[in-house]
Amino acid sequence: MSNVAVVGAGQTHHARRRTDVSQVGLAREAAVRALQDAELTMDDIDSVIVATGPVLFAAVNQPEKWLVDALGARLKPVVRVTSGGGTGLAGALAAVNQIKGGFAERVLVVAYDKLSEGALQYSISTLYDPFWGREFAVGIMGFSAAYWKARMDLLGHTEEAAALVSVKNHRNALLNPYAHVRKEVTVEDVLASRPLCWPIKLLDVPPISDGACAVILAGEDAAKRSADPAWIRGMAYYSEGENAADRSMIQSEPLRIAAEKVYREAGISNPRRQVDVVEVQEPYTCFELSYYEGLGLCPPGGAAQLIESGATQIDGDIPVNPSGGCMGANPIGATALIRLAEIAQQVRGRAGAYQIPDAKVGLMQAGGGWANLRGVAVVSSTKN
Amino acid sequence: MSQLFTSPDVPQVLTTTLSIPYTLTPGGAAGQFLAGLAERRILGSRCEPCARTVVPAQDVCGRCGEQTPDLVELPHGGTVTSWTAHQGRVVAKIRLDGADADLLHVVAAEPGAVEVGDRVAADWAAEPTGWITDLAAFTPGRARSGPAEATPVARAETSVEMVPYRLDLTYHHAYGPYYGRMFDELGSFSRLMGSRCSSCHRVLLPARAICDVCFARTDQFDEVSDTGVLQAFSVIHMEFVGQTRKPPYVYAEIVLDGSSTRLIHTVAGDFDLADAASTLSIGMKVKAVWKPESERVGTLEDIAYFEPVIP
Repeated sequence: MSNVAVVGAGQTHHARRRTDVSQVGLAREAAVRALQDAELTMDDIDSVIVATGPVLFAAVNQPEKWLVDALGARLKPVVRVTSGGGTGLAGALAAVNQIKGGFAERVLVVAYDKLSEGALQYSISTLYDPFWGREFAVGIMGFSAAYWKARMDLLGHTEEAAALVSVKNHRNALLNPYAHVRKEVTVEDVLASRPLCWPIKLLDVPPISDGACAVILAGEDAAKRSADPAWIRGMAYYSEGENAADRSMIQSEPLRIAAEKVYREAGISNPRRQVDVVEVQEPYTCFELSYYEGLGLCPPGGAAQLIESGATQIDGDIPVNPSGGCMGANPIGATALIRLAEIAQQVRGRAGAYQIPDAKVGLMQAGGGWANLRGVAVVSSTKN
Repeated sequence: MSQLFTSPDVPQVLTTTLSIPYTLTPGGAAGQFLAGLAERRILGSRCEPCARTVVPAQDVCGRCGEQTPDLVELPHGGTVTSWTAHQGRVVAKIRLDGADADLLHVVAAEPGAVEVGDRVAADWAAEPTGWITDLAAFTPGRARSGPAEATPVARAETSVEMVPYRLDLTYHHAYGPYYGRMFDELGSFSRLMGSRCSSCHRVLLPARAICDVCFARTDQFDEVSDTGVLQAFSVIHMEFVGQTRKPPYVYAEIVLDGSSTRLIHTVAGDFDLADAASTLSIGMKVKAVWKPESERVGTLEDIAYFEPVIP
């Protein structure tokens, strides 16, 4: 089987509003940094994948066409991939498959969203059936809050445990030069913060950001010419419908399936012991708790205990989101790719102030919806 | 299956409009181009290695992909290279003097009076607004203002950083036979009808042709109770553009008795919303409170809310 690796990654400085750049300027900024990181130029890139959220976010349809000139991608294959919150990872998976299928040797994936431009919750609410439920929709937040309450009752994912996620990720984001939000918060601050969709409170929620990320993926021969490739040992992305019958919404089936497949590909039987560092996409704090269980870092119902134990802190035995995760920045279309970029930089030893010492095997998770779109990847400094 | 859909009054099309406000960011050179229009200057960008000048100004040369740091101010006159008529207006590609690419704009002339090769000149809006229409149109004839040739200029100090914009998108969604019957039943008889799976006998609401669980066809409509179980809830305090009701209110997912699917609605009643978190509990029974008959329109909002059933 042919191997694929991340050979370069870059991201923008994220902010609530970047008035200095348009959507295309934002995407270019990340692409230029990824090319510099990989010591490559656009001449070395065979194919470009653009990954962004719904076009209603920023009112430009087929934005990939607009990006072609700005990326220097004239007359190269350029397509757009989109899949809810996990868009960036879906884009990376398309790139991996282009390489494995022999279509390209090196692929540039550029993911971004400029969320300052539109009406976020309104746009997200349009994913509901226009006949049935849209009149009550509150983006994905009302829905997520409702099932977090259910998980509280069944799995003990308490407000206090979620607050610890917020405290940890905010603190880690202080180390991240690209983070949009850099401020320390306490458990008391989180619990006392304004309810938005109770039990979700203001400090359970990441910022809304303008930002972009770019990753360069390469096939085995091309990757060998890179000094420090991050080999993709497994990558998967699964989905299911949201309104199907008999869905409990308590554990995510797509996450379980994706993790099983990726662990099998990567030869991982005990992720807690075999993985050195984890990056997850937490749209709200309660999601990170459920990922601990879905990824097998602890048994179902064990997430609160895991965060309380300190194991997922940056100096714990299984650090989760040393970059600060979404709490540092959340440009939705880019967020999943940022998780892949961060985990790749960890195993390449390029994670700067939040580098986990000797990180060799990294695990990342991304997805969208409350439970219905979930992707997982394992990267390592050695190949299969 | 045809006997499932007998009513002649089945609704056909739901018309809805999304009205979404935006604040767009032109960014770098495009922002300076827009700011320039307010000063009656047309700014392009020049890529020296490619020897190409394009307008509006761009941050990046589309030919070589390199940044184009050099801005140029272009003459106000140009030549029509192609045109079409739309709603009685002439929309033309105009090659400004000194540019190597065309600018798309309106020519203020009758469609029959324009030809490729015609000379046109910029005509300016009386009151600039920071948008492309500050350059109101091109008019036939020679330019009476502007530089004689493309002239290099320093990066402008002023830039338009934000442009208000709005999308008003109207859609006509087809009900189809299942939703048609279901909403007809709701509108005519104030009852909720799901479709029943021919294999596993689950009743699915909203009604649909194929069961999600076993992929068999559904073969009959079954009435679903207007009482059910509260499967999940949250309390909405957040306000957002496009919201259909005023916070605070309860977002609720309810499994109606006799159905296997979630209904999204709201729970209210004889309790203070500030106490919703402690008053409501997952698994509690709830019952629909219907609006007065005169206020029903055949949508889910005919149910004003669900209220807790106190045993």
